[in-house]
Amino acid sequence: MSCPYEEDLTAYVDGELAPARRAEVETHLGGCAGCQGTEALLRRTVASMAGLPEYTPSPAMRREVLAKLDALPPTLGERLRALLRPSVLVPAAGLAAMAGLALYTAAPSEPVLEVADAGTLELAMNLEVVEDYDVVGLENGEDLEVIASLHELEVR
Amino acid sequence: MMLKVAAGDRRAFALLFDRYHVSVARFALRFVGDRERAEELTQDIFVKLYRNAKSYKPTAKFKTFLFRVATNHCLNEVRRGEYRVEHTSTEAQEDEGGLEVAGGEGDRPDQALAGRELERAVGEALKAMSERERAAFTMCRFEGMAYRDIAEALEASEAAVKSLIHRATLAVARKVEELQTGSVPARSRA
Ligand SMILES: [Zn+2]
Repeated sequence: MSCPYEEDLTAYVDGELAPARRAEVETHLGGCAGCQGTEALLRRTVASMAGLPEYTPSPAMRREVLAKLDALPPTLGERLRALLRPSVLVPAAGLAAMAGLALYTAAPSEPVLEVADAGTLELAMNLEVVEDYDVVGLENGEDLEVIASLHELEVR
Repeated sequence: MMLKVAAGDRRAFALLFDRYHVSVARFALRFVGDRERAEELTQDIFVKLYRNAKSYKPTAKFKTFLFRVATNHCLNEVRRGEYRVEHTSTEAQEDEGGLEVAGGEGDRPDQALAGRELERAVGEALKAMSERERAAFTMCRFEGMAYRDIAEALEASEAAVKSLIHRATLAVARKVEELQTGSVPARSRA
């Protein structure tokens, strides 16, 4: 409690101390019984966390989240697109929905782990940027292409 | 092209969900101690993520960004919820809601403290500590996140995170020890 080194012991056990401080703590541990006891306690505790039962979230969650997304009010981008070209975009939306359905029904119980490449994820994280036409700072080439080709939807 | 994005939109989101929802749900469960509520929170966090995608900076690690969203959401919800709990239920305590866990890992009497007992000790310690300690501890111990990333998720300094994790780990350690020394009769029962 009163030892000034005590508060660094968890970071020491976690390997989170800078090398110089780590060396200091190591030296101190050699001669401080209190800190040795605390260090051992911390190591035991950290190791024991592996003994906690696994938690598996309900598989229904995926469907429920996707349903919540469907229930969201449309974004500016979606509203604009709907205004621009309903006859083209309605079937397009249908197709997208079908593609989505195909994906979700194809493997409902097997999460598509490790498929996500950095590019897809980044695109996913930037989607609202695209949809809100908030193009400041956009660097993704594909996003820019989307923005650039928006007018084609109007013309055709 | 729009079609491709529209399709990619949900597909990419589904990929994100598949990849990270277990982490988020586990975090929420440790945070609120109730499975049903944790899953509700997880859903809300992903909806929020979808809506706030534009605030994501590709320079930040995605997991860090995700846990920033998750932490903020859980903190807000718990604060709102605790107010209610404090005023309505006092008897719920005896049920020791704690952390519910799926399926029983068979009891292993040879191990000092395992499975459900350990779960209960950890759950009690988590409940008693501050929210930020709980969040930092959970990200560190169950998600294996580095202090630096936890600091970013909590919008705190690394020094602050170090101290949060230390206090939280000590609190859990004491609770576990307490149960362990008190578990001698439990062992003779087996
Ligand atoms: Zn010492």
